[in-house]
Amino acid sequence: MKVEHDHRGQMAAMSMPALVFTIGMIAFPFLYTIWMSFQSYSSTGQVTGWGGENYLRMVADGEFWNGIWITFYLYVLSLVMQLVLGTSLALLLFRAKRLPGIVRSLFISPFMMPPVVAGMMWLVILDPSLGAANWILTSLGLPPSAWLASPVLVVPTLALIDTWQWTPYVALIVLGGLQSLPPSVYEAAEIDGASRRAVFWRITLPLLLPTLVTAMVLRSVDLLRFFDLIYITTQGGPSNHSMTLNIYGFRTGFEFFQLGYAGALMVTLSVLVLGAVMAFNRLRNAVEW
Amino acid sequence: MATKPSDSRWLDCINVILLVLAGVIVMTPTAWMVLSSFKPSHEVTAYPPTLIFAPTVENYVTLSEQTPFLSYAVNSLIVTVGSTLFGLLFGAPAAFVASWTRITWPAVVALMARMAPGTLFLLPWYVMFRQVDMIGSYWALILTHAVITLPIVIWVLLPYFDNIPRSIFEAAQVDGCSPFRIFRRIALPLVASGLAVSAILAFVFSWNFFLFSLVLSNSQTKTLIAASFNFIGEGSTNWGGLMAAATIIALPPLLLAAIVQRWLISGLTLGAVKG
Repeated sequence: MKVEHDHRGQMAAMSMPALVFTIGMIAFPFLYTIWMSFQSYSSTGQVTGWGGENYLRMVADGEFWNGIWITFYLYVLSLVMQLVLGTSLALLLFRAKRLPGIVRSLFISPFMMPPVVAGMMWLVILDPSLGAANWILTSLGLPPSAWLASPVLVVPTLALIDTWQWTPYVALIVLGGLQSLPPSVYEAAEIDGASRRAVFWRITLPLLLPTLVTAMVLRSVDLLRFFDLIYITTQGGPSNHSMTLNIYGFRTGFEFFQLGYAGALMVTLSVLVLGAVMAFNRLRNAVEW
Repeated sequence: MATKPSDSRWLDCINVILLVLAGVIVMTPTAWMVLSSFKPSHEVTAYPPTLIFAPTVENYVTLSEQTPFLSYAVNSLIVTVGSTLFGLLFGAPAAFVASWTRITWPAVVALMARMAPGTLFLLPWYVMFRQVDMIGSYWALILTHAVITLPIVIWVLLPYFDNIPRSIFEAAQVDGCSPFRIFRRIALPLVASGLAVSAILAFVFSWNFFLFSLVLSNSQTKTLIAASFNFIGEGSTNWGGLMAAATIIALPPLLLAAIVQRWLISGLTLGAVKG
């Protein structure tokens, strides 16, 4: 049938550009990186062999394990802060009922600005000698802090900046979840005389779990690949105390030009991200109602 | 235990106070950045910091005179607008077909591109673009940034196309409309607001994206965001200039985001949450 043939042809033609682009710019490079990660290179960049050398080197590399640890530390710290604060903020917004556009704009401003800009502005605020943050601390009679320059505090400080940026995002997601909860449940709870606390812990929170898991997935994907803010503020320093796996992989590839090894690091990071997403998906299926 | 009305009014009051507090915490750092950018240069690094000062645009003037700020801004616009158009041109028809035929690869690929670390792609791109001598070209930047914009366009538009009643398409088909015509004359006008949201989100994320232009641009094609690095180098002596640069870079995404704030969350969560 000619018409049917024409129909299929046009449908294919409409999706073809995106398909070609996807193969050329996403799928092929993805496979290329995996292939690269199994190649060994000489110091001049010539391919010298094929095998698992990069992965063997990785397992024995202290910097790699440091990267895993820093990535995980930054991830857990940021995620917990953002979920707790974000849910609290969502409950406040939900109770306020009406949310004027200007207030919404205010709350989305941190996460719509480039992370690089957030980094620039916090660098100035957190400057150890002249920054406003230390001025506030000393005015309150507290000792000043080195913030991003401190080996101990650099990860918590980065987590704090990211939390400032992304808590409103988590809050707006959770707010969406709150607004979609069936009111009938609350009416029933009220008739039964449930206390405010019981309503939150026994009804709101369990019903909200799928939304919270969604927020966790979306934040996990970004947090495990945490890059811009670190690169603009500390580049992994002081020494390697904020060298996440992503930063380490980038510097290996584009400062030391060890493409094969950088490829192995990035493949590993991708597997970690994928693993996290899959784990959360199972969790979501478990809490779905 | 039923709550008394007076009790509830108290809670409302505390609620508003806490919300104002949250708003202040969210706003203060940004306000500080903007404020610092209008301070005279000798006052930006004053300690203790000053709140009252005679505002000046001195930092902005110095920035435009001493750095190629304007050409960075033009580069940013070329790359951002280029990649946004690219994303729309390739993404909108693909999203339409995906919605109609229920094929899933566009959504899956878009999700993968969203999940993978940028460096994973940057390594092979660097090798590929070096082979064809395209490092530092606008095309390399536009194509790589399209990897950001295309998935956004597909994810934002899919639910819009899904919401169109299929009977409209089927009726048009019976009348002899080709799929291409249905897309252009019927589907696209119906998802006009979705197109606007996806264009703005694609613009914002392309504008904000740091990693690709960091490696793939040269001194002629450097974007504002990649040039931030230079400003920080100079910023150790010139905070006023640094804050002026940061303010200008943040301005386009913040203005655009304010326009689509209502549809933003559903777009940003890949449709998982209706905002």
